[in-house]
Amino acid sequence: MSTLPLRDLLVRETFLARFSWAVQDYPKPDRLVRELRRELTATATDVGMRRAVADLGHPRVLAEGYLASLDRRVPRWATGATWAALAVGAVAYLLVAYAFGTLDTLEDLGGGSVTRTALGATTVYTSTDDGLSVATEGSWQWAVLYAALFGVVFVLGSRLWRAWPSGGAVRRAPA
Amino acid sequence: MDDTRDPQLLKGVLPMLVLAVLRGGESYGYELVTRLQDAGLADLGAGTLYPVLNRLEREGRVSSRLVASTSGPARKYYVPTDAGTAELDRAERSWHRLSATVARVLDTDAPPTTSTDPSRGTR
Repeated sequence: MSTLPLRDLLVRETFLARFSWAVQDYPKPDRLVRELRRELTATATDVGMRRAVADLGHPRVLAEGYLASLDRRVPRWATGATWAALAVGAVAYLLVAYAFGTLDTLEDLGGGSVTRTALGATTVYTSTDDGLSVATEGSWQWAVLYAALFGVVFVLGSRLWRAWPSGGAVRRAPA
Repeated sequence: MDDTRDPQLLKGVLPMLVLAVLRGGESYGYELVTRLQDAGLADLGAGTLYPVLNRLEREGRVSSRLVASTSGPARKYYVPTDAGTAELDRAERSWHRLSATVARVLDTDAPPTTSTDPSRGTR
């Protein structure tokens, strides 16, 4: 149980949160963060938390130090997942934007309904005096599109090829 | 005197220096930093040392134990293993050989400081 002042606690945890994000690709990063938390807390009793944190430098640089100490580069799982989710989100956003644009157009034309079919999914856009509506259905083509998009971006973003030692091994010069 | 130090040079010898300091007695992370700073590595930060300690422990060159402290949380003390001591011996020999070679080359290529003959310029 920590008995740190709230301010020190915030300083420590803010640093560790940033470090944790940067070092997420290290094997068992939680253990690393726990050790660093204990080290910071112990060091703070000598020099204060601000100094203890400052001595560690930038959390990203510290994380790179740990990652560089590995024998080989490792995939960046969380980065890949984040980029993949953003890519899928971007496509979803474009579809929603398209739907709003279509409904706005229908409304400006005095209302009505329009049906569009893309990748096996039929979508009906309706604008009436009572309101606006969009009715659509799923299709396996869309599922494949989303899965492929997520997969490709995840592979590229995570540097998945680093999971295979022969492909991601760091070459070391002979001593 | 120019005190700027090439970080790459330090990175290469830091594991050896850590093992050398630990050979004198077990120590915890921040104490190691201060001991190395006192030894002349004034710009060494904990952020540089901790990954090195982590690697040495992962490679089995140092072992650690938690020691309860009266002034705060338990500290992690490090001590060289047999493999670490052997590695230190090897690194020391390697360093002395390299150091002697570098010194010899630098001495050989150093421009003469007492010559005033302009026709004896170095290439």
